[in-house]
Formats: sequence, structure tokens, C-alpha cells
Amino acid sequence: MAERSIAAIYFAILGIITTAFGIADILVTMGAGSFAFGILEIPGDLFRGVWGGFIVLSAGLFYLSGIRNFEDIHQFSKIVMGSILIWIMAGCDIFAMITESIPGGEDGPWFNTLNGFIGTYAPPYTPAVLLLPFSLVVVYYIYKRK
Amino acid sequence: MKLTIDQRWDLIDKIAKQTVTFGEYRHTLKDAIGELTIKPFTGIPIAIAVMYAFWSIFSSFAGTLFTDGFMVKLFDGHFLPWMQDIFPGAGGWLYYIIVGDPLANNSFEALGVLTSGFFVAIGVVLPAIFIFYLMLALLEDMGYMPRLAVLIDTVLHRIGLHGYAIVPTILSLGCNVPGVAATRILETKKQRFIMMTLLAIFIPCGAQIGIMEEVIPDTMGWVLLYLITGYFIFGYILNKIVPGKSPEFLIDVPPYRKPMISNLSKKVWGRIVGFFKVALPFVLLGCGIVNVLYLVGFIDWVGNVFSPVFVLWFGVPEATAGPLIAAFLRKDLAVAQLSVIEMTPYQMISAVVLVSIYFPCVATFAMMIKEGVKEMLGALAVLFVVVFLYGGLIHLIGILLGVA
Repeated sequence: MAERSIAAIYFAILGIITTAFGIADILVTMGAGSFAFGILEIPGDLFRGVWGGFIVLSAGLFYLSGIRNFEDIHQFSKIVMGSILIWIMAGCDIFAMITESIPGGEDGPWFNTLNGFIGTYAPPYTPAVLLLPFSLVVVYYIYKRK
Repeated sequence: MKLTIDQRWDLIDKIAKQTVTFGEYRHTLKDAIGELTIKPFTGIPIAIAVMYAFWSIFSSFAGTLFTDGFMVKLFDGHFLPWMQDIFPGAGGWLYYIIVGDPLANNSFEALGVLTSGFFVAIGVVLPAIFIFYLMLALLEDMGYMPRLAVLIDTVLHRIGLHGYAIVPTILSLGCNVPGVAATRILETKKQRFIMMTLLAIFIPCGAQIGIMEEVIPDTMGWVLLYLITGYFIFGYILNKIVPGKSPEFLIDVPPYRKPMISNLSKKVWGRIVGFFKVALPFVLLGCGIVNVLYLVGFIDWVGNVFSPVFVLWFGVPEATAGPLIAAFLRKDLAVAQLSVIEMTPYQMISAVVLVSIYFPCVATFAMMIKEGVKEMLGALAVLFVVVFLYGGLIHLIGILLGVA
């Protein structure tokens, strides 16, 4: 019972933060700018901002709608879906980093230098990448159910 | 041996006892997730996320990694200078056709059969087509495509189609030829005609998308928005004016499955080989024919004749006549040609939309003839009206926004 409450509180907090990130993503892009604070960066491009922001916002709403009656499989599937949406977004951002890190740039050598390669993975990160480790908690609950 | 009715029922009971498990079926997590992807309220955000992943991975893999990362360097830095050096008779007509402009410093501007032709086919289209078909095969084998069909059924009914029309539409985003062939899964002549017409006009192929990603990355979103809007507007109109029925459809939605690598590789390989058999000769031939047409002055003549239509009605420069003719052979090549013409960003958007909605490429055209000459002629008649009206409308929007 206590563990169920902890899980519900955890996903409620994650849902609120995810929703806030999604709204921030959309607002920053609509304002035609970019935003950076510490290790967080919201890039201002339309594709990533509005389209991606809508997906992060949806992930947050999935979390929030799934926390009530958490034990029910249909409710739990919403939590899982929230995490899947975060994985999709973060996966795309990480894949974009990988594809940027390999070539050596327009006037450089064929392949990137080691410093350049590692440098691509340095912060700041997009909201979805920051949310990724927190969204993985759902894997524990999936295995627990099995 | 002949069994009586009672004996048959006994036999059925025996088999059922051995093979059927009775009990209460409990929903698994996979079932529940499967349901979420079909219900509109939850399924639409998921579909939007899947499409986002599709395009994000497509542009990162094909654009950033392969074309910009390696192919541009290979072709512009090594292959083009090498061809310009070794091919004899710089400035001659044969040199112009095969290698292109001797002063060009990039493969897009050279426009030769063996320079731009190979760059477009190998440097741009190959990585784009590979990643497109890989992701499409993944979605098919996972079992997501039937769910997408169910989800989009209501929307597609508005334009006289049904959920399964998403299959030819998405296939056409790879290449219009298999897309046109896939219209056969639609039941009525009306549906097939609407689908074929919309594919030929509004769905850009993977090669064209790959080139757009390369030459107009900042404005590509607007081009796609115009095309999607046109797809639904003219689909709605066609549904109203074309006689015939648009029946409902029944679909078996399979459970989600783990894709098998052997199946994926077979599908991707088969589709890439098929695409290259059709596309590569047309890319090379297209470069050659367009260069010949330039040399004999035909394209300048067409530009002059249609100048009022291009400049006044469509709001694009006269020089876009050449790419529009090239578009009949290969649309990707035509977009590449547009990239070297001096234009405002809005004129570029208009010109690329025109190339997309203008006459289908010759390979698609051949496929349409195979599907029925009458249908093809009907589709072409619609196409001319659409190009004229929609091209003018886009110009008008630009004027009203003050950007044309």
C-alpha cells in the first residue's frame, strides 16, 4: 500500500514536471527564441519545439491521467505510455547527437576528433533527455507486475 | 470413413479439449497499450510522436550523418574535381552533358550526368531511402500500421477514402511507384482514382524529401504543410464531385510483435533494389535530357513562352521553367536545380511546392498508365486544374502576407 502511494506520488511529480517542460518547449518556440538554464536547454527550432513540445506535454498528461487507481492495468498502461513518449523524444535527441558527433565537420577531417566527439555529448540537454532517467523508473514497476 | 453428425460433434469436442484453454482472459500490459494506440484521444498524440521519431531519425541519419557528414565531402571535394580534371574537352557540349559546368565547385551546381546525377542518386537518395524503408518496415512488423489505419479512418473518410489509404500514402513518401501500385487495396474505382490523383499530386517521394532536407532545410516544413493541406482540401473536393461509393472497412488488428531482423533486412533490401532499378536510370537520363534541352535552347524558349504564367500567376522567376521540365523525369533533380536559382525564401517555397504538385515523375506516370489509361487521363486533368489553382493560391497567400 505504502509503495503504491510512493509510486503514485512519484509519477504525479514527474507528470507535473513533464507537463511544465512541454508547455515551456512550446512557449519558448512560439516566442521565436531559445532558452538555456544550467544543464537545461530548449532549442528554438519549430520542428523540435512545437512538435516535440506537444509530445512532451502529452507524456506529462499521460502520467497525470494514469496515477489514479495505479494498480489497474489500463491506468498503468498510461504511465508506461508517458514513459514511452519520453523515450521516443530523448532517443531522437540522443540519436541526433550521435549523428553530429561522428563526421569531422564541413572543412575538417573525415571523422571527428576524440575531443570533438566527446564534446558533442556535453550539457546542456533538452528537457526530454533530462527526463529520461526519471522515466526509466517505470521499468521497475513493469517487472514487478510480471 | 464416414462419420455421423453425433460422431463429428464428439470429435470436435475431443479436439477442443486438447487444444483450447478455458478460463478468464486477463488483459496484459501489451493489450492495454495496444488499446491506447487505437483510441483517438490517446492514439493521436502517440501517432504524432511516432511521426516525429520517423522524421527526426530520417533527417539525422540521411541529412546530418551521411549526406552532410560524408557524401558532400566525398563528391564536392574529390569526385567532382576529379571528373572535371580527367574528362576531356572542357567547355564542349559532351563535357557539359556528362560533367556539367566546368567552373562549378559543388555537385548540386554542376548538373552533369555523372556529377550531379551520381551525387543525387548515391549521396542523397540512397541514405534517405534506406532509413525511410527501414523505419517503415519496423512499423509494419511491430504491428503499428494497422493501428494507424484504424486511427486515421474517420479523417480519411472525409476525403472519400478509408484507414487503409494510409498504406499507399506512406509508401508514396518512399517512392510514388509502389504507392500507386498499393492503391489496389482500395475497394472501389472512386477510391482508387482519388488516391492515385492525390498521390501523384501531393505526396513527395523519399528522394525529393531527401533533397529538400539538403537544400531547403529551414523552409521544408512550410512546403510539407502546403502539400498536406492541399491533400485534404482537394481530397474533400474530389470526394464531392467524383461519382461512386466509399465503403467502410474491416481490419484485423494484430498484437504488437517484436520485429525479426531477417524479415526487416529482406524487406528493406527488396525495396531499395526495386527503387534503384526504377530511379537510377531516370536520374542519370534526366540530367542528360535536361542538359540537352538547355543546350538546344528549348528550356529558354519554354521559359519565355510561359513567363507570364510563372512570374505573374505563380510568382516565381522565369528560370524555374527548366526545373519544372526536369521534374517530369525526376523531381529530386528538379529541386536540386531550383536550389541554384536566385529566389526569395517564399519564392523557393512556392517553386518547390509547384515542382511537387506538377506532373508526376515519368516512372509514376508509367505506373499510372498500367493502372488504367482512363483513370490516368482523369488524374492528369485534375492535376492541371490543381496546379493552376493551388499555385495561384499560394502566390496570393504570399502577397497577403507581404512575403511574395
